[in-house]
Amino acid sequence: MGTAMLTLALPKGKLGDDAIQLLAKAGFPVKGIATETRQLVFSFPAEGVRYIICRPTDVPTYVEHGAADLGIVGKDTLAEAGADVFELVDLGFGYCRFVVAAPRRRWEEAGHSLETLLTGSRRVATKFPRVAAAFFRERGLPVEIIKLHGNIELAPLVGLADLIVDIVSTGRTLKENDLVEVTGIFPSTARLIANRVSYRINYQRLRPVIEALKAAAQGGAGIATCS
Amino acid sequence: MAGYLNFQVPAGVRDLLPPEATALRELEQELVAFFQSWGYREVLTPTFEFVETFQAGSPAGEEGSLYKFIDRDGRVLALRPEMTAPIARLVATSLRREDVPLRLCYRAGVFRYEEPRAGRLREFHQAGVELIGAGGEAADAEIIALAVETLLKAGLQEFRIGIGQVAVTKGVLQDLELPREAVAQIKAALAGKDLVGLEGLIDGYNLKGRKKRHLELLATLHGGKEALEEARTNFNRGGAIAALAGLERVWKALAACGLEKWLFIDLGILRDFDYYTGIVFEGYVPGLGVPVCGGGRYDDLLGRFGYPCPATGFALGLERILMARSEVKGTGQDEGYLVAGRDLAAVLRRARELHREGTTVIIDGQSENRRQAADRAAARGLALVWVEPLTGTGEPQGKDDV
Repeated sequence: MGTAMLTLALPKGKLGDDAIQLLAKAGFPVKGIATETRQLVFSFPAEGVRYIICRPTDVPTYVEHGAADLGIVGKDTLAEAGADVFELVDLGFGYCRFVVAAPRRRWEEAGHSLETLLTGSRRVATKFPRVAAAFFRERGLPVEIIKLHGNIELAPLVGLADLIVDIVSTGRTLKENDLVEVTGIFPSTARLIANRVSYRINYQRLRPVIEALKAAAQGGAGIATCS
Repeated sequence: MAGYLNFQVPAGVRDLLPPEATALRELEQELVAFFQSWGYREVLTPTFEFVETFQAGSPAGEEGSLYKFIDRDGRVLALRPEMTAPIARLVATSLRREDVPLRLCYRAGVFRYEEPRAGRLREFHQAGVELIGAGGEAADAEIIALAVETLLKAGLQEFRIGIGQVAVTKGVLQDLELPREAVAQIKAALAGKDLVGLEGLIDGYNLKGRKKRHLELLATLHGGKEALEEARTNFNRGGAIAALAGLERVWKALAACGLEKWLFIDLGILRDFDYYTGIVFEGYVPGLGVPVCGGGRYDDLLGRFGYPCPATGFALGLERILMARSEVKGTGQDEGYLVAGRDLAAVLRRARELHREGTTVIIDGQSENRRQAADRAAARGLALVWVEPLTGTGEPQGKDDV
């Protein structure tokens, strides 16, 4: 954790793989790193860089506590975590969107109005209760949030919820479950985040890293999508 | 056994065990003594007060973070979330006839209803100073110098203090000539270092040229003297000129007395933006994800208590300092004596004699014999005093009585 070694938190999975590609492109050592292995820490003492691989939702936590100086994480995860970290660069990959979706029939019955839809029914299933609550609160719509951990599209099919808030990239999952997008909330891509103390105190050390990643991201890193 | 009490304590509060409690109290003592050596007199204010005191503009007094309750007259009270507003109230009432500047210090437990996350407790301890009735660079320099010396005194070595000047940011925001809501969004992005969000807002409001450059610079400008130079070249309009000239004089004075190595300039440090009016600063320690101290100039607060005057100060988070210091002083091992024996009267008498010498004396009423007592003493690192029973009546009883 000291000042010498720079620690970067990376998410497991597809987003992490894209992050590693970006790191390689920006000239950072990535030899032998993989996000789906048992090894969770990869150190490159010569370059003074260490990577920790963790669950995507834990990346903001490691960074907020200062266990990692920098982290790469999706805006979706970051918004839901509400962590007190600095959001430095939009890395461009891992595109997806937050949407509110409803069963097609109910949406048509409600005359395509969110207010009408919410008059009789107010249950919203989501993996992202913070984002969902903020969205409905800003619009003054009282709802009951039901937190689920996956396969949100199932909830309206079996009557657990009337609406869902979820992330989509292509919209295929919605279509397959006869759900329609009612409205978008905001788009999400991968972000470079920093611990607020580390950013200030190790600025000279972090700045070239941030600049290199920014340049690599703007140099047209392939737009990948999250599932 | 049925009917156990609930043994848990609520989220965000905790017990301090002997080594930690000792470390915290010693730190408090040390800091207050140090503040006093700089001429700051200690004050104590009530743990709870009318809610209006805390709402008078101090950021920690925001609705959501206060612990509020209602007294029997139906008035709303709150636990103090910080000490600056109570001290402002105290100065504006009880001390308003005293000559300024007033130098006051405090140590206090404070209470905030916050999500217990990264280094945040709902009850925690602060020590700090307020320099009231002193505007200008001399006071700013004194407070920052005191902050550096205080962190050194607290046993930290590797810390850095970042200095900002919110008046520069305020000038730039004014210069944008945007509706209030847009300014609020930009302010939030700057304060939270949401550079992605800031970029979006710059594009969204179609800001170009000087305005765009100024915002980007505010978010990223960082360094020593050279950063100050860069700021002065760029922010050459309105209030920013005077604000930066003042900051430069403070920086030069601090550098001249050898404090430069602990300091840097970062105009992105805004703290609680609406509350502060001038130079602000935060103290950072490597490896600790949250600042250990923070403060700055708040020239508008006293006016809200009907006693307009400039003021500056800072507070240290004591739990955070202890965490940064990591090694806990006070090992739980006592230096002193374990007094044991079969005759309680003789034991108490001997203990009393030793106590008067000012050493730690622990009375052992359990040991049956000298060997047991020796083991107990050894386990605690104490010297054993085995007292033989008082014999006969020739012993002059109570000769030590005062």
